[in-house]
Amino acid sequence: MPFIEPLSNNLNSQPGFGKLLKRSGKIQVPDELFVRILAHAPGYAKALHDAMHMSHVEGNVSHKLKEIIRIQLSRKAEDTYFSNLRSEKAKEEGLTEDRIEAGCGNFENDSEFTCAEKWALRYAYLMYREPKKVNADFYDEGKKYYSEAQIMELGSFIALHYGMQVFMRTLRAFPLHNPEGKPISQGESEKFYGTKVGR
Amino acid sequence: MRSASAKRDGLTEEIIDEGIENYRESDRFTENEKIALEYSELMQFEPEKINGEFYARLQEHYSSEEIVELGSFIGFNVGYHTFFRTLDFYPMFSPDGRLVSQEESRRIYGTRPTSHMRGPMARATGEHGAEPKNED
Repeated sequence: MPFIEPLSNNLNSQPGFGKLLKRSGKIQVPDELFVRILAHAPGYAKALHDAMHMSHVEGNVSHKLKEIIRIQLSRKAEDTYFSNLRSEKAKEEGLTEDRIEAGCGNFENDSEFTCAEKWALRYAYLMYREPKKVNADFYDEGKKYYSEAQIMELGSFIALHYGMQVFMRTLRAFPLHNPEGKPISQGESEKFYGTKVGR
Repeated sequence: MRSASAKRDGLTEEIIDEGIENYRESDRFTENEKIALEYSELMQFEPEKINGEFYARLQEHYSSEEIVELGSFIGFNVGYHTFFRTLDFYPMFSPDGRLVSQEESRRIYGTRPTSHMRGPMARATGEHGAEPKNED
């Protein structure tokens, strides 16, 4: 069980939470567990879930690309929860585990990624490993592929998700479902996904 | 930057510096506050040390609501500070509350985070010899 116990009793009936739980059930990034843990501080739960949900469903950067970035970051954060979740929306758009692995691995030499996608993956890779390399020259290169609005979308997406992953990592939480979508207990989830992050 | 409401609540630069550099030995902070500061420090630098035992210690001082508030606040700020650093922008106001240009702000605050008492305040008021050292 995560170190902060998820709330379950009647959360659906509390103002605003029905919507959060429904959204989580649909997109699965995050799943309901995040909502139930953060529900201890309702204002934070709503604000952060709103921001995370919006970061997935709105904007002008490819959702599939953002999903790969999200997982890449979660492996850096060594977070067992977010690293094992998968966006239903990205799956529907055709994102596969192979492309996720490619994006989290040797993306610079992968011919299936465009130059623009490689820049975005590099942006996420460098942000919390070598942030000094994310400098004016780096941003100038990004502007060849993306508008400033898209760069801000990417940067904010990276910051928000990494921050939540850093927190969730410490809680020792695991997804509520297995990859086939079957609900499982935290104990089963830990056994299934393991405590090492990444495939 | 400094929170206006925290300043109104009595937060000073001395307390900020003490909280960053010497909270464990400091008399200024309660045990509650010390463990919260430790939580923040560990989350950024040694997250593997935040385990069940640490959360049990935290729960001696804070409710689950407060821990979630603290944890998500810390996480959020860890994420955003690194991102903002890459954008190379500076506060719109000097420590003495003047609206300043980005260039002036960079000169006052320097290119690395530092105590406001070790340069920025003096540079804001034009004190001689307070220029920032060469940065990386």
